[in-house]
Parts: sequence; C-alpha cells; structure tokens
Amino acid sequence: MARQQGWFALILALAIAAGALVASFGLQLGLDLRGGSQLTLQVLPAGAIRSVDHEQLEAVKEVLERRINGLGVAESTLQTVGNDQLVLQLPGEQDPTRAAKVLGSTALLEFRSQRPGTEREMANLLPLKRQAEAVLASRQPRPQPVNGQASPPSPKVDLSAEDLAKALRGLGLTVPAGSSEADQLKLLLDAVNQRIVALYGPTAIAGKDLVTAGRQQQATGNNWDVTLKFTPQGGDNFAALTQAIAGTGRVLGIVLDGRSISEATVGPEFKSAGITGGAATITGNFSADEAHDLEVQLRGGSLPLPVKVIEQRSIGPSLGAENIRTSLSAALAGLALVAVFMVVVYRLPGMVAVLALSLYALFNLAMYALIPVTLTLPGIAGFILSVGMAVDANVLIFERLKEELRSGNTLIRSIDTGFALAFSSIFDGHVTGLISCAALFFLGTGLVKGFAVTLAIGLLLSLFTALTCTRTLLRLLMTYPALRRPTYFLPARQLPSAVA
Amino acid sequence: MTVAPSPRFRINRHRRLAWIGSIVGIVLSLVGMALCWLNPTIRAPLKPGLDFTGGTQIQLERACDNSCGGLTTSQVQQQLAVISLPPEPGSRSPNLSGSVVQLLDGGRSLTLRVPALASEQSKALVAQLEAQIGPLSPAGTAINTIGPTLGSQLLRSSVISLLVSFAAIALYITFTYSGVFAFLALLCLAHDVLFTCGAFAWLGLLAGVEVDSLFAVALITVAGYSVTDTVVVYDRIREQKKTIGDLPMVQQVDVAVDATLTRSLYTSLTTLLPLVGLLLFGGSSLFWFAMALSIGIAVGSWSSIGLAPTLLPVLSRR
Repeated sequence: MARQQGWFALILALAIAAGALVASFGLQLGLDLRGGSQLTLQVLPAGAIRSVDHEQLEAVKEVLERRINGLGVAESTLQTVGNDQLVLQLPGEQDPTRAAKVLGSTALLEFRSQRPGTEREMANLLPLKRQAEAVLASRQPRPQPVNGQASPPSPKVDLSAEDLAKALRGLGLTVPAGSSEADQLKLLLDAVNQRIVALYGPTAIAGKDLVTAGRQQQATGNNWDVTLKFTPQGGDNFAALTQAIAGTGRVLGIVLDGRSISEATVGPEFKSAGITGGAATITGNFSADEAHDLEVQLRGGSLPLPVKVIEQRSIGPSLGAENIRTSLSAALAGLALVAVFMVVVYRLPGMVAVLALSLYALFNLAMYALIPVTLTLPGIAGFILSVGMAVDANVLIFERLKEELRSGNTLIRSIDTGFALAFSSIFDGHVTGLISCAALFFLGTGLVKGFAVTLAIGLLLSLFTALTCTRTLLRLLMTYPALRRPTYFLPARQLPSAVA
Repeated sequence: MTVAPSPRFRINRHRRLAWIGSIVGIVLSLVGMALCWLNPTIRAPLKPGLDFTGGTQIQLERACDNSCGGLTTSQVQQQLAVISLPPEPGSRSPNLSGSVVQLLDGGRSLTLRVPALASEQSKALVAQLEAQIGPLSPAGTAINTIGPTLGSQLLRSSVISLLVSFAAIALYITFTYSGVFAFLALLCLAHDVLFTCGAFAWLGLLAGVEVDSLFAVALITVAGYSVTDTVVVYDRIREQKKTIGDLPMVQQVDVAVDATLTRSLYTSLTTLLPLVGLLLFGGSSLFWFAMALSIGIAVGSWSSIGLAPTLLPVLSRR
C-alpha cells in the first residue's frame, strides 16, 4: 500500500516536471514542419588528398561557419554528416541561392603577374573577354530597382552570331549542337579565362596573406570594388610584384578559384618601389551583393578542399504548418479511436491504460524538449508507431489478466500474475525494436535517424509506463473496495461461476 | 496445471490455406516487381522517386482563390519548354522539355519534376513561370534538389542498416530462443517486406506511385513490427514448456497461437487505427507512407499468426 503510494507520488512528480519542461523549453520543429532551407554539401578530395578525413572536414566546416556568420542568417546550423558531408539548415530562409553560391566556392585567391613575352596573346584575349562579359551582362535580367531608384539602362552591346562563331573557332572550340547564345558566350568566356590564366606566372600572393577584406562603391556608377589589406609579408610581396611589372604593360592578374577575375596594369610611376602600403583594390565591376559575397568569402578564408552542393531542399512555411496540422489531427483522431477501443474492450483497466498512455505521450514530449529532439515528419511517424507498441504492451498485460481471471484466480492475484507473465514478451518485443533503432541510428541517414530517435525514446518510455504507471494506478484503484469487482474487468458470462 | 488446454482455434488445421495465401502473395509481388523492371519507363523493381533518381522537384501554390484560370499540364509543359535558364559554369542549361507536371487541388497547386537545377536556375524558372501562369504564393513553395549521388548513398545506407538490424535481431532470438525460431522470424520478416514492396510495385505500375526515402523508413518499421509480433507467439511457446510440459510441437503451436490470437488481432487493430487516421486526415506528404505501413502491418500479423508458428513444427522435426 505504502509502496503504491510512493510510486504514485513519483509518477505525479514526473508528470508535473514533464509538463513544466514542455511548457518552458518548447519543441524544436524540423524544417519540413516550419519551413526553411537545407543544403547538403559534399567535400570533394582534391590534389594529393585521396579521401576526406575527419580533420579536413572540420577545417572545411570552420571556414564555412565564418562565411555563414558573414552572411548574417539567423539561427542557422551547420553539422557534419558522415566522413565527408556537411548539412546546413537555414530556418525560415526561402531562397538558399545566395548561401549556396557563397558556400559552394572554394574562394582560393591568388595574385599572379603575367609572364614576359606573352603580351601579344594577352592583347588579343583581353578585348574578347571584355566584349563577352558585356554581352552576357546585358542579357541578364536586371535586378529589381530598390526604393524606386531605376537602375540605369544597360549599355547597348552586341556580338553578332558570325563574330561569336569566329571567335569560338579561333580558340579551337566546337559548339555543341542546339546550345543557346548564352551557353556559347559562357563557353567562350571559360576558354578565354583559361588562356589568360595560362599566361600568368606562379602565385606570388595568396589568400593567407590577407588580413581582411572590405568593399566600397565606385565613385561613378553603381558598381562596387572589393578592397584588400595584406599582412606585412603579403604587403612586401605585393610591392615586389607590382614593381616587377610596373610600366611594362604586362598585367597583374587576380585569380579566384582558377578564374581570372581582374586584370590590371601598373603605371611606370611605381617602377622604383612598387605599390606599397599593404593594400589593394579589386576593380571587378561587382554588384553590391557580389562585392559583399566576395568580401565574406575572402574574410572567411579559402576552403582547404572544394565542396559541392548535392542536395537542396526548401519548403514554404505554410506547407510546413499544413503538414504539422494535418499530421497532428490525424494522430489525435487515431489515438482517440484507440482510447475508445481500450475502454470498450478492457473496461476499468482500459481507462487506466488510457490515463497511463496520456502520461506516456506527455513524457515523450518532455524527452523531445529535454534532449532536444528536432521533430520532423519521420520523427512524428516514429512517435505514432511507438504509441502502437505502448498500446500493445497494455493489451498483452490485460489479455493475461483476463486469462487469469477466467481460470478462477482472485482479482489482485490476477493483476500481479498478468503483469508478471506479460513482462517477458513485452521485454523481448521492445528489445528487438531497440536493436533495429540502434542499427538505423548509427548507420542510417538524416531522415531515418530522426525516425530511429523518436521510436527509441518511445520504446524506452513505453517499457516504463506499461510496467510502472499502469500497474501503480491499477493497484492504487484496487485499494478502494468499491472498485474491486471482477465485472469491472470482464463480462460476467466469461467469469468462472465460482467467482461470479 | 499439467492438463493440456484444448484450443478453440487450431491454426495447424488451416496451415495449408495460410501457406497457399502467402505463396500466391509472394508470387504476385515478384511478378509486380519483374513487370516494373521490364517496363521501359521504370527499369527498376519499384518506381524510384526524386530521393533516389536525383533532380529538382518544385511545388508551387497559385495565389488566387476561385479566380484562377484553368490550367492544363500540357499548357505548363509548353511554357516550360520555352523557358531559358541562366547557365551554370561548366555545364549547359538543362533541357526542360521532358519535365513532368502534376496539377493538384483542381489546378490551384502544381508540382514540377525537372532535371537537377542549381538554386539560381530554379529561382529563374519559378520567376518566369509566375509571369505566365499568374501570381504564386511564396509561402506555399517548396523546392527540392537532390544530386544523383545522394540517392544511391541513401539506398546503400538504408539497405546496410536494415541488414545489420536483421542480423542483430537474429542473434538476439538465437540466444533467447533458438536458431530455428530466429530463421523463421527472418523468413516472416522477408515475407512482409517483400509483400509491401510488391504492393508498391503494382501501385507504381498502375497508379504511378513512386517510392521515396519515407518508403525506406516504412519498410524498416514493418520489419521491426514483424519481428515483435512473431516474438510474442514464441514467448508463449517458451512459457508453455515450463507450465504444461512437453507436448508435440503441432499442439504446442496450436495452444500458443490460440492464446495470443486476441492480442495479435487487437494490437494490429490499435496500430492500424492511427495509421488509418493518417490515411484519412493526414497531409498528402504522409499518405503513401501510411499506406506502406498499413499494408506491412496487416501482412505482418498474417505472417506471425499463420506462417511462423505453422512452419515451426515442420522445421523442428528435422
């Protein structure tokens, strides 16, 4: 008797604590339930590195974290998955375009000077590059004007189809059949850039020589420049590099991820000492966003290994809210039916079971808030399934209880034997379930993992509630003589005549 | 307690029927998967969805109530064919003419399946489509892009985790019961999983239903449920050996199945109730998931009542 009351007090305390936990911490909803974007990045091995190890993955993550902070997205999370993947979640963010672009590029910055004796070739390539860039830019849809400021009309530039074909042929390129003008221009630009980079000497200054990067608007027009500040060593190198080419007409190339993004000549006035002061400006005619993104990338440092965006999911908030509302109402409707079923079939213990199962649901939510578990659709599915298992545990116990009553045992004895006999099958069922969960959790991917976590929590709690809550509540009720009637457990015709 | 109880329901009297039912079901499932494999548009035992094939799926909701103009899939397809997308470095603009378009809710929302797009390209596609078919509600938009490598990775990790969990469960049953029990539990499990796959192969053939990663989760769940269900009968047989002593195996099984029959049916029913709730009221995203689970759980209780126990005497005799 005292023992039952002790257990009852414990269960009551747990229930109150669980309620408080859920109320104060709240539940974390996954992106599929609240809307947002998720990007999966694959780290690719490059150069001497054949396979990506944990250390390199962490190094990549560190750089990406700096870039994400630079972008200023609230509440984003970046997690490593497996040996060579990173998952970035951007709650509430509908348009991951920019994040994908900023995160996906290596941002390996190099300053290289043109090799002597390549002046003629460069003189052919540079105008072609300018022209192709200008035509491509004029084909892009202009961004929406901000604050009513109309953007200036793009300059009228054109490259006739014949000239384009001639230029492509001149570079020895074959155009795939059916490609659009934009595709051909891209092809041309890629090839020209490759040729330009091939004319450069070795890397003189790299991203590691930078202290910081910034941006500033050009004095005329809407374009932006990206400013760089070098370390003392980097500043010396920069001075030496500019001194070497000053007044020669050869260009200083700024190469980002193997693409030449800016080519500049250095005037003869720098012949004596080079450009000193440890600072430089990239005049790449960037838009405000492009300049900002490049600044973020340069500040964050270059990635030790290239990454590729392999998965991208984004879901609107109303779709997420709709999902959770319908799933929730479905689960509740099903559970209401289960409750009705239990009370009809098992009578008094059925009611006890419904109470115990309600506590079970509350404990589950408390565990989700405590661990914390991010609830996703598969997670909800795992929860619904674990409710099925919890109900099964009660069914097993009550069937045993009925059997004992039918064979003529007393009520109290039947309850105890029912619990004792049902235990082994409940235990085996739950253990096999937990074994599956362990395998799914340690070997499965994101979706499957979420399912395994909620199912495992559900199974562990179900062992507790079926064997403790249901039992304690039932025993407590049996201390009231008015409730100690076998007909509250079984229809009278099923009872052995001796008892009835 | 030494008197052998006489069961009301003797499962072994009906075992031929149970076996025939299962064999017919398995053959139908295999035929369905074979037909899927031979189908030139599927070429796989089940019709793979976006999660396994890779590509971009765009879900759009039109921002209009009843004023929405009528929309047909061929109209949208024609509009898609003329859309030009900004090219990505190193690759050509994808060709959208082969896209799959699905209209939902009487043309109010639509789903597009196109080759894998970079996020800028999908943005451009939505913007250009919006110009054609009228305003879209940004809150109802979902864009998923999955690289082709991710699908095979998902498949591999699902299959590996499934096999490992099978092996671990078999080990557990071998230790707590015996090897024959473990073998039969796995046989039933394979039966249930195959049955569910077969049903979805037919659904894929006849109704174009695709399997996604949630289907993999459903299969794993069916497997776990199947074992739990079977173990309850095993537990009863083990217990009877202690209480009523050694009986011939056939009788042993009859008594155990009879005693656990109510429980098995009730449990299947109570598990199916929330799933039926999901089928009826749940969002479209969970419909086929709930369907796979319902089929698997129904078949699971069939095999744990009719298959595992009746095969036990046959195998134990040897």
